[in-house]
Amino acid sequence: MTAPVLALRSVSKRFGMTRALDDMSIDLHAGEVHAIVGENGAGKSTMIKIMTGIHQPSSGHIEVGGTRTVVDGPHAARDAGIAAMYQEPMVFPDLDVAENIFISSTREGVLQNTRDLHRRADALIARIGMQVDVDRIASGLTLAEQQAVEIARALSQDVRVLIMDEPTASLSAHEAAQLRGIAAKLAAQGVAVVYISHRLEEVFEIAHRVTVIRDGQHISTQSIDAVTPESMIADMVGREVGNYFEKTPSTATDNVILSVRGLGLAGVFRDISFDLRRGEILCMAGLIGARRTDVALSLFGITPADSGEIAYKGQPIDVRSPAQAIRAGIAYVSEDRRKLGLAMPMSVRSNISLATLGHFLSPAGFLDRRRERETAEAYRDRLNIKTPDVDAAVDMLSGGNQQKVMLANWMAMQPDLLIFDEPTRGIDVGAKAEVHALIREFVAQDGAALVISSDLPEVLAMADRILVMREGEQMAIIDHADATQEYIMALATGQAALQKAS
Amino acid sequence: MTGLLTRMSPQTLRIVALLAVLMAVLLFFATQIDNYLTGRLFNRISSSVAIMALIATGQTLVILTRNIDLSVGSIVGFVAFATGSLIAALPGLHPVALVLFAMGLGGLFGAANGLVVAYARIPAIIVTLATLAIFRSLLVEFSDGRSITSNTLPDWLVSFPNTTVFSIGDFDFRAGFLAAFLVVIIVHLALNKLRAARRFYAVGSNPEAAEMAGIDTKRTVFTAFVLCGMLAGLAGFMFLARFGNITVVAGFGFELKSIAAAVLGGVNIFGGSGTVIGAFIGAVLVDLIETSLVRWPLVSEFWREAVLGTLILLAVTADAILMRRLIKLRTDREAARDHERERAAERDRATHAEAGS
Repeated sequence: MTAPVLALRSVSKRFGMTRALDDMSIDLHAGEVHAIVGENGAGKSTMIKIMTGIHQPSSGHIEVGGTRTVVDGPHAARDAGIAAMYQEPMVFPDLDVAENIFISSTREGVLQNTRDLHRRADALIARIGMQVDVDRIASGLTLAEQQAVEIARALSQDVRVLIMDEPTASLSAHEAAQLRGIAAKLAAQGVAVVYISHRLEEVFEIAHRVTVIRDGQHISTQSIDAVTPESMIADMVGREVGNYFEKTPSTATDNVILSVRGLGLAGVFRDISFDLRRGEILCMAGLIGARRTDVALSLFGITPADSGEIAYKGQPIDVRSPAQAIRAGIAYVSEDRRKLGLAMPMSVRSNISLATLGHFLSPAGFLDRRRERETAEAYRDRLNIKTPDVDAAVDMLSGGNQQKVMLANWMAMQPDLLIFDEPTRGIDVGAKAEVHALIREFVAQDGAALVISSDLPEVLAMADRILVMREGEQMAIIDHADATQEYIMALATGQAALQKAS
Repeated sequence: MTGLLTRMSPQTLRIVALLAVLMAVLLFFATQIDNYLTGRLFNRISSSVAIMALIATGQTLVILTRNIDLSVGSIVGFVAFATGSLIAALPGLHPVALVLFAMGLGGLFGAANGLVVAYARIPAIIVTLATLAIFRSLLVEFSDGRSITSNTLPDWLVSFPNTTVFSIGDFDFRAGFLAAFLVVIIVHLALNKLRAARRFYAVGSNPEAAEMAGIDTKRTVFTAFVLCGMLAGLAGFMFLARFGNITVVAGFGFELKSIAAAVLGGVNIFGGSGTVIGAFIGAVLVDLIETSLVRWPLVSEFWREAVLGTLILLAVTADAILMRRLIKLRTDREAARDHERERAAERDRATHAEAGS
């Protein structure tokens, strides 16, 4: 067998006292899709950062094509043919799509020929099977489109190792399938693809080999034929998890808390009608572009709807601002935690008290740090937030733990209605189960939850009823008992009508 | 109308808007001040803007990378004085050598800023606030309280900025202005056409992504500061040529004026977007308002600064609000078009499916 394109040899990485990677060895071969799975904080991100030269190993070394190599920066990584795309798309919001793709390429001339650049960008985007105008400014792109730009950027270089970190976390099922197709095609062309995903079904679909890591340590590397989802999950969490995707029993009451009739926003969505009862979890399913988030933003008062009626706790309500929604007891947990959810450089403690700072004031109006800390500690225990200290900055935590901090912030508000937008995006199975349990616990205590999720197994595990949207239209509301992945997908893709007709 | 507005690129749009504001200001003062719209006004503005345009250009380069240079005024002052001393000591020095000296010296100051900002990762506002004071003190020390006077300077230098190259009616196009304008155009073209220069935008737009994409962000920021220093140095040369008399306060307050010009010209203070042409028009606008206010009897000199400040605030606010609306219009239009296209694609699929079945 030829030498691996890229290999880690006994690489360890310490940050102060914490051991992010411990004696990690891995071989990546040309032409294979190598999946890496592990819980949040298992060390996947650190491993990628070592491969791309952002971090240097504390001990051990990297081999490129069998030769010991020091990758001392993103620049060196690129020269070695290593490209990475991350969970949060890395685009330049002020540049257009074409420039975003070619900005760091080394194969360009001194002068920039805009027309030629646009033509080649078009070709790359077409190769991914996406449709994005290459002269659009990147700040207006959706997450899926930004992702496409990132892949195109990697493709524009002579890429030998492509590391994809949760590439499909923000994509709809259709787009995700497209992306997996690209990953497989690139591997067939001789690229070593590193594929990191929490969606295990994806791993089984495209990976040739799979490596499980846990707590910074290498647990197993096996051919995909030799593993099962159960064994993989067991390796990840170090224990057998049963009933993982089993539906929790409904706690729905007859008490309608939110009643929406014919809600619409011109050019965005129209005629949305549903009732949400206390104790109930209503999931909104749909593909990217179904405008589910827009409905949530209208309910939360960020972009107020311009037609239809909302009744909340039996009273008509016209939500004009988030502040008004929060006063009424409505909380919205954003899908984009980096941009809209968390103050990244601030501490876990400060983030948890962010929405409810008024509750932590002493009679003299000063912040009661002790009480704030107690609350933070309580949520840290309850939500199992892994952090060395509640005073640690949130951006030091792994994605799943950041997500939990964001949940804690809104739960501290003790809302009546929680709107969750993709509550488990990019977090591992163990943390997902925890988040599901937390949401169920919340509604069981007389709350109500509206959950937007693109993760169908999650929808089926949580929802009492499912509202399926497609391109701004409400396709159907289905009871959990009638729901299957296939049926939801048929509604979301607009195939259900055709099926019925035929 | 909105169709046309949304079709133009945001950059072109901004420049068109700036020109409209410029016109509005001109028309306003024309109704307030007798004998306003004359060749003299043009000549006065064009001479004084020659200096500020260069500084604003340099400032723009730095701001694009999400930094700021508060030391430009001190660099202008020091370079003007040092260049004056050099030519007084060596009257036979070739003009090109003198210009290169001024730019080189300015570049050294810029390099000092850039080294600390880019490689020691100290915020630019702190670094250049310190060097603003340090460079000024160096000038005081170096000048030892002396001044440069125009009679120690060679004739070619003093007459250069006011030499009329050509005239259109009463409008004299003088060498100083044309030279500065040429530099602005060159930098503008370079920013748009040079691949390396596009990295200024990339670094300012998303520093983290730039780092991940393998762009040498440190070198990019460093380069921006060096270029800014060189342009400030060139402005120092122009300052010397125009005024002849250089004291220790030369270039005082230029940092704020250059930032005002850049921001008025649509350069995003958080980096990543803006044009040098915009900054140039911004510089013209600041100068025009300042010059006109002096002649506007309604405003006493005590209120002049306040009026200028208010106008800047108004212009920037209006610009921000209008731009936001236009960008929204554009995205809406694009979204509608994408939507259309998706529908069309779907219809295609549906017809194919029908044909297939």
